[in-house]
Amino acid sequence: MAVAVFFVAALLAIAGGIGVISFRQPIRSVLSLVVVMLALSVLFLLLSAQFIFVVQIIVYAGAVMVLFLFVITLLGPARESGRGRLRFQAGLSALFVIALLGLIYAMFQGVHYRQPEQADLSVFGTVQSIAVGLFTSYLYPFELTSILLLIAAIGAVYLSRRDES
Amino acid sequence: MGTFDVGGSQLDTSWFLLLGAVLFAMGTAGVLVRRNPLIILICIELMLNAVNLTLIAFSRQLENLEGQLFALMTMTVAAAEAVVGLAILVDIFRVRDVEDVDDLSELKG
Repeated sequence: MAVAVFFVAALLAIAGGIGVISFRQPIRSVLSLVVVMLALSVLFLLLSAQFIFVVQIIVYAGAVMVLFLFVITLLGPARESGRGRLRFQAGLSALFVIALLGLIYAMFQGVHYRQPEQADLSVFGTVQSIAVGLFTSYLYPFELTSILLLIAAIGAVYLSRRDES
Repeated sequence: MGTFDVGGSQLDTSWFLLLGAVLFAMGTAGVLVRRNPLIILICIELMLNAVNLTLIAFSRQLENLEGQLFALMTMTVAAAEAVVGLAILVDIFRVRDVEDVDDLSELKG
């Protein structure tokens, strides 16, 4: 059962990924990315990451994607001209991506799967266990992310304000 | 070795890692090939999601929650990146008519 769920979700994610990089219109790319994110959220659930699953759907597939949609409506349907100024761009990119995949695959050969630490899987990935991690050993980085978000919000407001003069 | 149990059936961690690698490579291809700045940002989001999948897969394999905490941090950074990137994009598009990223080549001299 879990294997079937994995393969369905993985196929959906890959199909969505192909859609993201091949659709001409940005709106379709964004909707494909939503498909990828929902498929990945199912995989997160398989990996017993319940809290991340919820955050993925609410924050990513919800908030961030709506942000992209708003920007698309603001800018109008931007079209991509047929041909770029760089010659061989597609060929060189394909070469680079294949080399990257090969490197990652070579890295997989050296992955040493350490024995698990025998955590209590009944609470693994729940809101409670995540919160214990966030508010004890990772309190400092957690507080820093709030400052990061504040900076991003102020920066976005500053960049997108309309000039009165 | 790298397997774990979900509801009675065995899943292999390397499947998740492979899927993450494929999605990451797709995102890279999009960033390199596409020239619409909006789609480049979308492809960066795709890459960050692939990294999240890898982090959470290792977190499950090692039964160690730190991977999930890292994934949460990645999500925060991705949200901040999207907000600032889109704001810059809106600003650029307002000032001038940009058809694709090749039009933004002032720094070339």
